[in-house]
Amino acid sequence: MEPEKKWKSRATLVDLLDRVFDKGVVIHADLIISVAGVPLIGVNLRAALAGMETMLKYGIMQDMDAKTRMWEAQHRKNKEVTLLEEEEIILKIFGSYYYSKGIYRAWKSGYFYLTNFRLLLYQQDIAEVVFQTPLEKMIAIKIRREKSFTGKDKDIIYLALEGERVARLDVLQTQEFIEKLRDLEGKIGVALDGELPAEELDETTNNFVMDGERICCRGKIWHLMPKSGIMAEIWKPGYLYLTNKRLYWWYEFEGKILFQVPIDKITGAIQERRNLSAVLTDKKVLDVIYYSNNGSKIVASFSGKEIEEWQKALNKMIAKEGNLIEDKEIETCPQCGKKAPVKELLEKGCPRCGWVSPRLKKTPVVST
Amino acid sequence: MAEGRYVYCVAESNDRLDLGRVGIEGSQVYTIPYKDLCAVVHNCPAQPYESKDKKVVESWVIAHEETIETAWKRLGTVLPLGFDTIIKTDEENPEEVVRAWLKEDYQSLKEKLNKIKGKVEYGVQVSWDTKIIARELIEKNFELKRLHEEIKSKPRGMAYMYRQKLEKLIRGRLEKEAERCFKEFYERIKGCTNEVKVEKLKKEDEPRQMLMNLSCLADKDDKTLGDELEKINNRESFFVRFTGPWPPYSFV
Repeated sequence: MEPEKKWKSRATLVDLLDRVFDKGVVIHADLIISVAGVPLIGVNLRAALAGMETMLKYGIMQDMDAKTRMWEAQHRKNKEVTLLEEEEIILKIFGSYYYSKGIYRAWKSGYFYLTNFRLLLYQQDIAEVVFQTPLEKMIAIKIRREKSFTGKDKDIIYLALEGERVARLDVLQTQEFIEKLRDLEGKIGVALDGELPAEELDETTNNFVMDGERICCRGKIWHLMPKSGIMAEIWKPGYLYLTNKRLYWWYEFEGKILFQVPIDKITGAIQERRNLSAVLTDKKVLDVIYYSNNGSKIVASFSGKEIEEWQKALNKMIAKEGNLIEDKEIETCPQCGKKAPVKELLEKGCPRCGWVSPRLKKTPVVST
Repeated sequence: MAEGRYVYCVAESNDRLDLGRVGIEGSQVYTIPYKDLCAVVHNCPAQPYESKDKKVVESWVIAHEETIETAWKRLGTVLPLGFDTIIKTDEENPEEVVRAWLKEDYQSLKEKLNKIKGKVEYGVQVSWDTKIIARELIEKNFELKRLHEEIKSKPRGMAYMYRQKLEKLIRGRLEKEAERCFKEFYERIKGCTNEVKVEKLKKEDEPRQMLMNLSCLADKDDKTLGDELEKINNRESFFVRFTGPWPPYSFV
């Protein structure tokens, strides 16, 4: 076989560029013209070859990245909640508010500001008011001792607002918070002596939640009941719950959980359009794929309004569960292109060519 | 504007030679000698060549390479430098700065020259066709073959899952096979060269995939590397790209 001569083709030109930009005898940097020791054109062409992501990953532009992040963090830290004219802060206290919208349910934490006008929860990190109510709209308050997901008992404040709404709050110093609220009573037309409206929270939910389990999402959804005995498969309405431990579907009519699977058995959730019956055609269906106890793969189908949200929430939860698998993620060595686990590359260097991450070089070695 | 000397390469000659207007953008190229060494240079302002136009950069790079080849032919062994290496010189005695560098690095430059004397560099890139290889893997492996057959009889949803599983299995096998081929070819190529450097792999158009990218230092006029590569190239679904001879950029 004869070698191809030089830059006759595009491919051989690339071969030439590789050599001429990265190689050759190196002269002491003081003697030559360069920008930060690297010829300018070399930098431009190289930047076009390696993606920004990869460069960041291997710490090449780490300094710049760190600076940008620092600036952003500082910038945000300085942001205080914007107050209205003549508004004064009476109490600022750390706490959280139970946020529920659509299928999402979560405690959102930040600083509660009690002012002479309103009560609000402000999340500094994202500069967002998560919850707020004018003082006059508060009609009743009640404290309940509840088991939190950490397993400890907590005082949860149920604050009834006009319009049948009940807010659940959790603050760091409950007593102080209540006292300050009571102080306001009468002064600015605040009255907290009303009764809590009929229970908003469905008690049934709590009956099924196990110790240390926390509901992340909940929503109305149809489920395709599999064939059983002489019964053909059939769609039935109910509620789907996603917790940090499992996914379960509660059949309202019988008041029973008819489907449940631990998160770590779920391998994925995909979306499809299917006909549910002769009448219900082309509906969005969420197929949850999971391993049964005997190791075979099973598909459970759900259909409803919030399929996209469910898919997102489920895949997020699976990803969290699958941390261990991510450790085995494969990357290519930036020097020789050898495929190796990311962890090994970043912590030990390349097994083939001996490349070591610049991050590793930075860390001082402590001799033992 | 301060002056500089663009350096192409270092060669073994104590003559002051004029190589003509062969440099970047037709610059006059000549040698600055110190003892039995000389630097091949042209005069330029003390600022790097830079351009956003790829075509312009490429023409500079080709001129850089061609100038080194000219010197290579006329002066024998050369130590090539990277593109855009410009030595800052002072106003009164610009050549002295270049000579001072040759003097200071004399020992190491001589050693490098001796190492590459009579040798040339080749680029060797081996790729394979993943599609054909994957097909062969399925044929050869009972488990994969069974899975492949099963997919055809499955409903859409299940077929999707099976395909995912099959793809994952094949990816794993390909990795292993690639590793095995790398080791085999590397040993074979190493056996007929002086030195081998492993370079970064390049992305190729699907379904081709690069297995190895090497720079090899071999004796001038030695044909054994070409013969060995021919054998690899003749294997079905393997492709060898063999470029050169280059000045030994990777071994200096």
